[in-house]
Formats: sequence, C-alpha cells, structure tokens
Amino acid sequence: MSNLDNKASSTKRYQNPELFEQLAIEYAVGSMQGRAKKRFEALMETHFYLRAVVDAYENKFASLVELLPDAQPSNQVWENIDAHIQISTPQEEKIPWWKTSFFKQGFGMAAMAVAVSAVLLLNPMTFGPVATASAYTAVLESDSNIPMAVTKIQKSDMTLSVDIMKKVNVPDNMELTLWCHPKDGGIPMKMGTISNSGKTNIKISKKEWQGMKDVGYLVISIEHKGENTAQKPTGKILLHGQLSTASLN
Amino acid sequence: MEDIYAELLQKTAAGDQLAFKKLYEETSPKLMSLCLRLMRTEALAEDVLQEGFIKVWEKADTFTPGKGRALTWMSTVIRNKGLDKLRSLKTKAAETEIQYEGLEFASQDLQPDNLEDLSQDVKGLMACLDTLKPDQRECILLSYYYGHTHQELADKMGRPLGTIKAWIRRGLEDIRPCLT
Repeated sequence: MSNLDNKASSTKRYQNPELFEQLAIEYAVGSMQGRAKKRFEALMETHFYLRAVVDAYENKFASLVELLPDAQPSNQVWENIDAHIQISTPQEEKIPWWKTSFFKQGFGMAAMAVAVSAVLLLNPMTFGPVATASAYTAVLESDSNIPMAVTKIQKSDMTLSVDIMKKVNVPDNMELTLWCHPKDGGIPMKMGTISNSGKTNIKISKKEWQGMKDVGYLVISIEHKGENTAQKPTGKILLHGQLSTASLN
Repeated sequence: MEDIYAELLQKTAAGDQLAFKKLYEETSPKLMSLCLRLMRTEALAEDVLQEGFIKVWEKADTFTPGKGRALTWMSTVIRNKGLDKLRSLKTKAAETEIQYEGLEFASQDLQPDNLEDLSQDVKGLMACLDTLKPDQRECILLSYYYGHTHQELADKMGRPLGTIKAWIRRGLEDIRPCLT
C-alpha cells in the first residue's frame, strides 16, 4: 500500500463516528497522551467535525470547575493582565481579514472578487430617496478570519446561494446548516442544509426575504443529520460573517 | 440556573475593560483553583491564570451564549493553556510544592448547601459519573483536575498501568451515552 493510501485509510478511520467520539472524549478529559494526542491534534486542524465533537465534550467536563474550592490569586496577576491589555492592540483594531496570510496568498483576492462581482452585477445603480434592498451578500470566515464562503441573497429570483470556496470536511452522519441571525438577537432563521463544497442554491419565501433587512450576521454550523427541529445552532459554528446590502432599488 | 457571567463575557468581547475586571474578580478564585491542581506550584498556576485571562480577553468574541456557560468556556480556555504549559515544561510530580486533599471537593455525597450553587450542567455530569465504579470515577476526575498521565495515575493508585488505561477507556465508553 502506498503512503498516500495509508494516509487516506488512516483519515477514513477517524470518520467512523464511534471511533472519533471515543477519541474525542479521551482528549477532552485529558487521558489521551503522547504521540496519539499529537496525531489527534493534527487531525483536528483539518477536520472540523473532530474539533466540534471535542469542543462539545470539553464543554461537558468543564463544568467540573464549579466543584473546586476557591483559591485567591495574588494581586500581581490582575496587575499584569491589566498592564497587558492597556498596551495591547484594542479589540476593535484586530487585524482585519484582508491582511491575513490567506489574503496575501491570493486566495483572499478570489474571495473578494466574488463578493465585489456580486455587488457590481446586482447593483442597478438606482438609489432612490426611499431605497430598499434588492440583494444582500456576506463573506463567511472561519474562526481564524479566513474567508471560506460567499453568500448572495437576491430578490430577483428569491434565491439564497452559498459558494463554499474551500471544501469543509464533514462526517457521514453530520451536515452543514446555514442560519441568519437577527441584528437585535432572538431566534435565528434556519435557511437549510448546504453542501460542504461548491455552490448550494436555496429558494427563499417572501417572508424570509422580508426578514433579511433585520438580519445582522450569517453562520454555518455543523449539525447531526436528521435533527432538524432545533431553532438555533446546536453544533459548532464553523463559519460566520456580517450580512451587507449589495444593491438598492 | 441563569448564566451570571455570560453578560460580562459579552461586554468583554466588546472591549469593556470594567466588565472584564469584574469577570476576573468573580471567576478567578475557581479558575486559580483549577490552575493550582494542574500546575502543582503557585507560581506556575498564576502564570497560567494570567496567560489564560489574556486569551479570554482576546478571544471573548468567539464565545457563543446558548452553546455553553461562560465559566465552562473560560475554564476550557485556561485548562488548555495549563495543559500546553505542562507539556512544554514536562513538570514532574517531584516538583510539586502543594499537597492536595484528593477529590473530597467532588465527593458523591455533597451537602445540600453545596448543591444549591451548582448548575444543572455539573449536576448532570455528576449523575453520569456516579454510574461508574469508584476507581473509574477517580481516574477520570484525577485526569481532568490534575492532568495526571496514565503512569502517574498507576503510581498514585498502586495499580498496573494496563489496569489504569482499561479503567479510563471503559469508564469513558460507559458514560458517553449518559452525556449525549
């Protein structure tokens, strides 16, 4: 068997839900050690679902902290933290995504080109005194601010399209779900299941279109297949992005 | 039970330094306690607590209310910092300067007064852990709180390494259905 076959076979093993759930819980508790732990951490970097399952178990066990007796740290600890945040870059000035290495490599330019094209193609240049939106767009990024997908929502054909530019690995028993979150909080609109690569088109209702004006941001979460009764994401949020008006009429 | 720290963490995400200070004042005693058990020396524990809270400040915007409690999110961030540091320092048990009471704080027979302050999450987790054999439960809790390796657990409990590995593996297999 070639090295490539070995690697593929090894990766396939981790797509077995029974196996990766057991490994995830061992990792979360801290009982996974040595080379096995390093190998698992490397896999988590490239397989979102492993990270999602580990996060879920870490969250379960993290409540154990409540049982601990209090222990007061010295005042110096806060003084050091405070000094650090005073001299560090304010949160509002975090490095913007267009300055990330992803963008420098040119991938980001492609993402930007898609988003700009959407704006240009959809924009009828008819800004009346009481303008209403005819299209919206959002560039969805990973936690590390890497643009991964572009979403367009058009009134002309009442379609929401999601274009995943970099394939997202999803195990057989899970799927990606797109959600639109209101600006002022509250229950998000569940827009449907999307493919983990390429383009997905979802027809939207008149009510959903009208709701878009109140949407602040979009997220894509990873959910267990068949559990479509949830009113909000229950799995890990993989991608997120602000919704912007792309054109007005 | 309401998540009393979620609002402070969300304000922290928006750059509110006063909210962050209050969050630190309210949660650092529990989190320091966790750091002390993981790191075994006060100086290392305070280093990890400090680095952990700086990460909380920087990453507060990734906390998603509704997907977990603020304190559990913060303890995961800080515990992972501690585990990274332990791995890089390869701290040995011999360097321990703090002796702990064992696992009495996580006893199966907590008094009603103690139970009142606990969230449903930890009550549920304790109920799952209570279904395990005492040795399995002890191994899992020692792994979590103290970051003990299998060999350290074998030494501490006076059992063969293979037995410890089997206890943990089977214990985690057994409680998985209860946790999901």
